[in-house]
Amino acid sequence: MKKTVLAMVSGLAIVLAGCGQSQATAPVAKKTAGPVTIVWTASPIAGLGVRKTLISLFEKSHPNIKVKLITAPTSTNTDKAALTTQISSGSATPDVYMGDVIWPAQFAHAHLALDLSHHLPSSFWSRFAPGLVQGASYKGQVYGAPFYMDSGFLYYRKDLLAKAHLPVPKTWAQLVSDSETLQKDGLVKYGFVWQGNTYEGLTCDWMEYMTDAGGTVLNAAGTKAAIDSPASLKALTFMRSLITSHVSPAAVTTFEEPQAMAVFDAGKSAFLRNWDYAWANSNSPTDSKVVGKVGVAPLPTFSASNYPGHSTIGGWNIYVNPHSQHIPQDLTFIKWITGTQAQTVLATKFSEIPTNYAVQKNPAVRKVNPVLATVSHVRLVARPSNTPIYPKVSQAIYSNINAALNGSVSPSVALKTTQTQINQAISQNGL
Amino acid sequence: MNAKTVRRFWIGFWVIIVALLTIAPLYWMIATSFKNYFDLGAFPPNLFPNPVTLVNYQHAFRLYHFQIYIENSMIVSVTTTLLVLFFGSLAGYALGRLPIRGRKVIMVALLMISVFPEIAVISPLYMIMRTLGWLNSYQALIVPYTAFNLPFAIWILRNYFLSIPYEMEEAARIDGASGWRIIFQVILPQSTPGLFTAGVFTFTAAWTEFLMALTFNSIPQFRTIPVGIALFGAQFVIPYGTIFAASTIAVLPIAFGVIIFRRAVVSGLTQGAVKG
Amino acid sequence: MAIRVSLAHRMQRHRPTRYLVSQGWTFALPGLLIILAITIFPVLYSIFVSFNHVAITSSGFKLSWVGVRNYRTIFSNSLYQYSLVFTVIYTVVTVLVELILGMGVALVLNALSRGRGFMLALLLLPWSLVTVISAEMWSYIYNGVYGVLNAILMGVGLLNHPVTWLGTPILAIISMMVADIWKTTPFVAIILLAGLQMIAGDLYEAADIDGASAGYKFWRITVPLLRPTIALSVLFRVLQAFGLFDLPFVLTGGGPGHATESLALLGYQVMFQDLNMGRGAAIAASTTLIVLLASLVVLRVFRAQVEEGAS
Repeated sequence: MKKTVLAMVSGLAIVLAGCGQSQATAPVAKKTAGPVTIVWTASPIAGLGVRKTLISLFEKSHPNIKVKLITAPTSTNTDKAALTTQISSGSATPDVYMGDVIWPAQFAHAHLALDLSHHLPSSFWSRFAPGLVQGASYKGQVYGAPFYMDSGFLYYRKDLLAKAHLPVPKTWAQLVSDSETLQKDGLVKYGFVWQGNTYEGLTCDWMEYMTDAGGTVLNAAGTKAAIDSPASLKALTFMRSLITSHVSPAAVTTFEEPQAMAVFDAGKSAFLRNWDYAWANSNSPTDSKVVGKVGVAPLPTFSASNYPGHSTIGGWNIYVNPHSQHIPQDLTFIKWITGTQAQTVLATKFSEIPTNYAVQKNPAVRKVNPVLATVSHVRLVARPSNTPIYPKVSQAIYSNINAALNGSVSPSVALKTTQTQINQAISQNGL
Repeated sequence: MNAKTVRRFWIGFWVIIVALLTIAPLYWMIATSFKNYFDLGAFPPNLFPNPVTLVNYQHAFRLYHFQIYIENSMIVSVTTTLLVLFFGSLAGYALGRLPIRGRKVIMVALLMISVFPEIAVISPLYMIMRTLGWLNSYQALIVPYTAFNLPFAIWILRNYFLSIPYEMEEAARIDGASGWRIIFQVILPQSTPGLFTAGVFTFTAAWTEFLMALTFNSIPQFRTIPVGIALFGAQFVIPYGTIFAASTIAVLPIAFGVIIFRRAVVSGLTQGAVKG
Repeated sequence: MAIRVSLAHRMQRHRPTRYLVSQGWTFALPGLLIILAITIFPVLYSIFVSFNHVAITSSGFKLSWVGVRNYRTIFSNSLYQYSLVFTVIYTVVTVLVELILGMGVALVLNALSRGRGFMLALLLLPWSLVTVISAEMWSYIYNGVYGVLNAILMGVGLLNHPVTWLGTPILAIISMMVADIWKTTPFVAIILLAGLQMIAGDLYEAADIDGASAGYKFWRITVPLLRPTIALSVLFRVLQAFGLFDLPFVLTGGGPGHATESLALLGYQVMFQDLNMGRGAAIAASTTLIVLLASLVVLRVFRAQVEEGAS
């Protein structure tokens, strides 16, 4: 079948090319001495400088490899659509690409990412912080090299808390009462902003509340949904109460990171749940009105004895295109970019959270900013992305949780629907 | 007040209403493009940018090299429009006024092609482009844009050609005029509104297309405006100011182009026509 | 839409039809071949894929024939059914509103003696905005905390607290329709205006001499003569509206809940996020079939009316 299709394409192509043009099949790999160029597709990380800085450092120490940077769209979904179109059709470029941490299972399943554990020694993987390699694995093989990590943090206005003599909240109940106090005193308009829109980010936020309450998305074997549980109901009821009690604005159900960030930066909210970048953003004089007034802490949880609460793992991996013609060079690049030099630059110059454990623990790196100092105190939780159908699972979560948050359905109905849709997805019958 | 004055008053009144409703959201976009980042989250928002800053425009050009994208979009859109108008006029004339069998089937097939969702054809199209070696080139966009916009242009041009009286064409045929002469000297001069409409819509379609432009041309030298704007900012950051600054610049050529193009089409083509 | 007596009938007396036929093909073929060369393979391939299960393997797509199973799966799925209903309602409402508004705008512009070029340029600005960007613009306007729409409505006293325009299903759908109507009414208006300009002025002069009212002239001259143009604009707007994608993609992500999940958005998600090519292709193909049937109905309806009007 595949042959027929290929024949159709190439047949048509010959007609289109006006007959006679030689067919552009895979070029014969020439064993010439000159430098090899590999193509790296990456979306902009925290501004423009990171990737170029890393590339020039890499090229300096590896004169035989040139890296050509292709900027990918900032929208992760659009980025993914373009990459899958290119790689699934057999394109040899990009050679390496930056991709979301939730992609490994799906990309492994669809042969869009090279099985790295096949090409790199098992000792290579020991350089990463705990849990990251497992997150990049599917069926025991590793498909992505963790590039930089991210997780949810609680950002708070330390000036306001000091003024009202309030402690940094360790429980959700405390966050609500702090917020209500600050709002009642007229110190701030909203208590807490976060991400509630129908998109992947809501799944991230949801994982934190649900795990704090003791719930899980799937059963232990990963064969059935387990999300319709009393723990989930507690979590969802609490999230909805944030809105009904006006601690969070009703519009939070339409917020993604940029909207929540804008409200916090404008000084309109006492608390913000956001990723690593929010520290730099809220302290940038061109972006923010709350420079110097911001503190960061691990997220609260439901009972103080379990503090800190869970933070969803985010961040990006580097993947290799299985059709790449330069796999040895791709691997060299990966080894270097997850190594000490690159990871230290990433952390100290651009305040991203390094995946290299030695760099992450380095006191000099921890001193860069309070977020990097907080990382080691955070309790991480991964999204259930170790299945190729994860996008369906996540969509079931974020669309139904959103419906409950905006009040169109009750929390219990939303959880029942989520449960059904996840089970449908597992049985391959969902849409 | 006579009836004519009343009529003119109402026309003026409605023109102003239409203009205001059209402009209002655009005004907000343009005003925002002159604001600082932290004014973006202000509530109530400042209706006028104060202070006025050009930083977003500087970003668009210096940081993101927006001029390259403008140039690429120009090349792709203008070429596409010319090709579509040329082939569309010929085909529209043939399908509208010449006795071709199966015209209805062709017209419906054209309809189907112009409605087939882009997402479903992008993957096979990519394979074609790769096999042809056309990835990262202008023709990778010009040729598909021409193909996907021709059906609409043919429909619209045919519609206008049908409403042209037959007397002049018959007279020309009896005088022994060739088909080409009839199209260019009889039909097209009488169809300027149709040409204008088809041209403008083709141009804007090529100007705003995103998915193919993103997928086929991945190196900056061949990327177009919509793709360029999608690369602004960083993950979790929507630089509204820069996006709106770039969009403001991107709509200007359309506005000027429409005024110039309309004059050129209207005056240029009517010269040869024997109106009557 | 062939309302006029075809040229062939008239020309038969003067020239052999065969000459005109061959000339017809000479003119039609270049354009048709370009379309065919680029689109026929992708369209047929996509239809073929919709009858297969697609596995992406290390050596490309592996198709295995499953007959109509993809179609059965999507048709029986409640999300697909909702998307279909939503897309149909959305299309009908927006196209109707745009037709009425567009007709009004076209009539006003047609009556304008000066500054028509300027108004045309102005009208084309919304249409020529990249849809994703116009969606970002509306998202910024509608924002429930710092959006300018709330500021204006609160400023004039119509609201006393901010509304989350995109937060609840009905409001989100209406807000999206407004954004769409703003952007595409100019499209309809410009097509209709071009049609109006093709109507000979002496018809109205004759009616004026007979002392006809404005309403009479509109319904008895303008509308009947404009019918093919109306049909054309309705037709293409239906086709475009049915492909609704960018607005929900940016404004709501298909939410709140699933409220604004259009067929195109659903297809995109199934194809590019879930990487289920077969089912995605089935959604695309079924959408095409439905909208094609709808457009044939539009054509039929308008042609019937045209024939009535002519007799």
